[in-house]
Amino acid sequence: MIAREETMRDLMRLAQLGDKQAYAVLLEQAGRWLTRFFASKISQDAVDDLVQDTLISLHRKRASYDPSRPFLPWLAAIARYRWVDRLRQTYRHAADELLDQHSENSHEDEVGAKISIDSLLHKLPEAQALAIRLVKIDGLSISEACARSGQSEPLVKVNIHRGLKKLAALIESE
Amino acid sequence: MPNSFDVSALVQDLEPVKPLRPQIPLLVSALLTVIATAIVIWLQGMRPDLLAGKPDEMFLIRAGVLLLLGGAAAHAVTAMASPSVGRSQNGWQMALGAAVLFPLAAIIVAMTGDTGPAFTAMDSGMRCLGYSLVGGLATAAPMIVWLRKGAPTSPERAGWLTGLASGGLGAFAYNIHCPFNDVVYIGMWYSLALVFCSILGRLIVPRMIRW
Repeated sequence: MIAREETMRDLMRLAQLGDKQAYAVLLEQAGRWLTRFFASKISQDAVDDLVQDTLISLHRKRASYDPSRPFLPWLAAIARYRWVDRLRQTYRHAADELLDQHSENSHEDEVGAKISIDSLLHKLPEAQALAIRLVKIDGLSISEACARSGQSEPLVKVNIHRGLKKLAALIESE
Repeated sequence: MPNSFDVSALVQDLEPVKPLRPQIPLLVSALLTVIATAIVIWLQGMRPDLLAGKPDEMFLIRAGVLLLLGGAAAHAVTAMASPSVGRSQNGWQMALGAAVLFPLAAIIVAMTGDTGPAFTAMDSGMRCLGYSLVGGLATAAPMIVWLRKGAPTSPERAGWLTGLASGGLGAFAYNIHCPFNDVVYIGMWYSLALVFCSILGRLIVPRMIRW
């Protein structure tokens, strides 16, 4: 089931009022939406962890949702924050664990396209995005990323540092 | 959706919440600015031209720019507590652009050799810094509390803006006393106060609001 903006907004409004039944449905739908949101860029294990982290953040920060505004851009901002936070931590995973991004998610809607992680990475200079993809997403070592990208070791490190900083500043941009 | 994650614990933990309303911290900051201004008047006195009911044009412009800058930055800060992709709060940039005219004009005038009281009235300048900082700390408090309640996704930017907002409001409070109308003095000491508060905000606030 593909979550709809209006449905999730209504559920969140009810959840803010304390409606547990609506909240259970919301968490279920938000979990599915987040799984698709993260799936194309990280491994299944990391997706599960990030979805959990984001749902816990949704729970802790639910008062920060303004019911007069769309729900998915709020959820996406929370999800991006958690994702960039995770990127900043040192973690690796095998490239072959990447999910196929064209599974059940190929019909992501226009809103989804605007707020996806891809659109965030595309805002970075190419060299910074490449360094982050190779080291932080694909899990290559710095030296492997050097060989793959043609950048020197110091440049890869600088590009990762600057790119992550810029990503953090771009979390709410379309 | 991962099977191992038990959402029922979150559901059981659900309590009703009131959505954050940014008007609350803005009103508290405005109230604290009024209190800070009253304290400045009590301790230092009001400008003579204000007391006489004939405020100088430079004072009016300075007060307006500080209030506009502090208010616009405070509005951006409180909005950051409720994040949303695609939402932008850029009003503070316009206000900052207007405020930058003061140091630019100060540099141009100073290059002609006319530095006015900027370097001779150091005591007053240091008082400007001190009062702006103390007033800024007071007005920053409700913004920081609000950011901690909310979900700011750019803690560093929130820190800069909190410092800028509180510095602007704190400097506005002192500006009611400040007797100088010289553009070099204003461009130097008020800019220093704003820069100082912004840097403090950047250094202190992010670690207090991360989540």
